[in-house]
Amino acid sequence: MAETFNFRLITPTGVLFDGAVEQVTAVGPLGEFGVLAMHANFITSIAPGVITLKLGEGNFNEFLLASGLAEVKDGAMTALAAEAEAPGAVDSAGAVAQATAAEQRLATMSMFDPEYEEAAHALALARARAQIEQLRRAPR
Amino acid sequence: MATLKAIRRRIASVKSTQQTTRAMKLVAASRLRRAQEALFNARPYHEALTRVSDSLLASAPEALGAPEGAERARLLVVVTSDRGLCGGYNANLIRLAEETMAAARSEGLTPRLFVIGRKGAEHFKRAKTPLEGERVNNAPRLATVGLARDVAARMLHEFRAGAVCEAGVIYSSFHSALSQRPVFDKLLPVKPPEAAAGAADYLIEPSAAELIPTVLRSYVEAAIFHALLEGEASEHGARMTAMDSATNNAVEMIARLTLEMNRARQAQITRELMDIVGGAEALRG
Repeated sequence: MAETFNFRLITPTGVLFDGAVEQVTAVGPLGEFGVLAMHANFITSIAPGVITLKLGEGNFNEFLLASGLAEVKDGAMTALAAEAEAPGAVDSAGAVAQATAAEQRLATMSMFDPEYEEAAHALALARARAQIEQLRRAPR
Repeated sequence: MATLKAIRRRIASVKSTQQTTRAMKLVAASRLRRAQEALFNARPYHEALTRVSDSLLASAPEALGAPEGAERARLLVVVTSDRGLCGGYNANLIRLAEETMAAARSEGLTPRLFVIGRKGAEHFKRAKTPLEGERVNNAPRLATVGLARDVAARMLHEFRAGAVCEAGVIYSSFHSALSQRPVFDKLLPVKPPEAAAGAADYLIEPSAAELIPTVLRSYVEAAIFHALLEGEASEHGARMTAMDSATNNAVEMIARLTLEMNRARQAQITRELMDIVGGAEALRG
């Protein structure tokens, strides 16, 4: 039995998860990162993608996050996200169309356009939604 | 004196008004409960975000100010309701908005308004106050993450582009169903938090400077979402109170009219008896 630590996933509409986990894997600005028990104090942002909670005994829990912040403090981890979707509820077919639209919008944009960042984020989120099945790490 | 028939009609009309106000009161009460729950659910997010943003923003206070040469303007987001019949709720908010605009002018800042809610938008249009933008007809829920995100994006965009040097939100802070107070919260520029003694040392990835835009966005989004939640709860509280007193007024009015109706009926009976007695006397004589 691996060592566990407390993890909370909080959104403005409520606490979605609060409990002991063995490992948390999420996507940050520099790529995927994992947190185990006894991690150092740490702050990073969350990029669009799937956050996977390893609960132990072969159980997993997953959420799709659009953006947010992650904090590890005194061994406990907190993820803050404006919105979180359960992977089963993601409309991946609809997201393919969104991703195409976002790609086209981005293609005609200058890097210095004030809306560039927002468009790039929309594209990343739509791609994450479209590829939700491939992105899920938990064995099923 | 009004005729018996007119009074009866009046009572029927007051009764139907009373039914409406009573129903509205019950609806407002159940919505208030829901809004209060949402307010309660939002608290952990707010607390955790404040902790994270404080430790990050304290490390880079220079990134928080308005860009150089920003226009001397203050953006005000005013949260009002779409529907009326909620007592002085909107009037109080509009008054505070106008006072805040006057205060901005006296500080040499051009006030610019962004209004949420039909009641506020209608008022400022009537008053010919130019609006920066508006979001009306937010049924069924006012406090949605989506609306907060849109408004926050707009506010941050104006601030970063240097179109305003200050931004804030005016909303009604919810104390209880009986008491709501309009307040003005200045959101931008963010006051750098005082570095708390014994603050935890964090590894920050990729770097504090790169995280600050994300933190600022989350912070403004959360603050506006909070304002929407408080506004929504206040609106329902104000409506519940207003509809409660309307229902009570109707009860009183019905009691008064019933008394008047009885008096009128008695007077009519007396008059008819007098006629009969008078007629009998005349025949006998």
